[in-house]
Amino acid sequence: MDEKGTWHGVERALLEWYPTIDSNKCNDCGMCILTCGNDVFRWNESKHQPLVQNPGKCVVGCTTCGKLCPEDAISFPADPKQYVRGVILKYKIFPGVKQDLALRIHKFPDHSVHLEVPKNE
Amino acid sequence: MSEIKAQNPFAIWHGMPRSSIHWEPKIDEDKCTGCGMCVVTCGEKRNVFGYDFERKKAVVMYPENCMVGCNNCTVGCLWGAITHPDVSEVKKISMELPMDQLRKELDNKLKANPGLLI
Repeated sequence: MDEKGTWHGVERALLEWYPTIDSNKCNDCGMCILTCGNDVFRWNESKHQPLVQNPGKCVVGCTTCGKLCPEDAISFPADPKQYVRGVILKYKIFPGVKQDLALRIHKFPDHSVHLEVPKNE
Repeated sequence: MSEIKAQNPFAIWHGMPRSSIHWEPKIDEDKCTGCGMCVVTCGEKRNVFGYDFERKKAVVMYPENCMVGCNNCTVGCLWGAITHPDVSEVKKISMELPMDQLRKELDNKLKANPGLLI
């Protein structure tokens, strides 16, 4: 998501992607809050457990916290690959991706690379 | 390259050397259409990918920057051109992390970001 609250040009608010914690499984280790770079989670001090506080900041299709959760206590609304595929096709985001790619490489010119590949391989 | 690695802020993962963890994207160039989705999906801080405009292919440039457990580039690749290792390895490592290591890190994060407390 960018500063405008869009995901490759799509309003983030239109997209349903967020983690849900099963508190019966959660062992309060804090891995989710440590690994999330978007502050989706907060820490409830009195109950000593994580809570999903900013679901709209969750990166669309990201399941990193769920993969790292040692208790498999975190789930998502859909299969990530299928969900993201649907969004990409529905909102036809590729013109925006092309622009984003040009901007990224402009900002980090050392990421413009060229590898010579032997032709007769 | 060794200098870059030495300065890599991602070199240690929860007390473990990142280099000991097998987790990074791999591109099948035959399937890559050069759409660039993976390049822009990866965050600017980690910036794992480069792009070859001549061949119209994404290139894995800094695999060691890949965030352990993240496969957002694989998820976003419509062409099935990117793969990550099986998640079971990462899950196993995560389950074996010492609880007091996480506790210490959590305390530090909450101290540095009191806004995360409710």
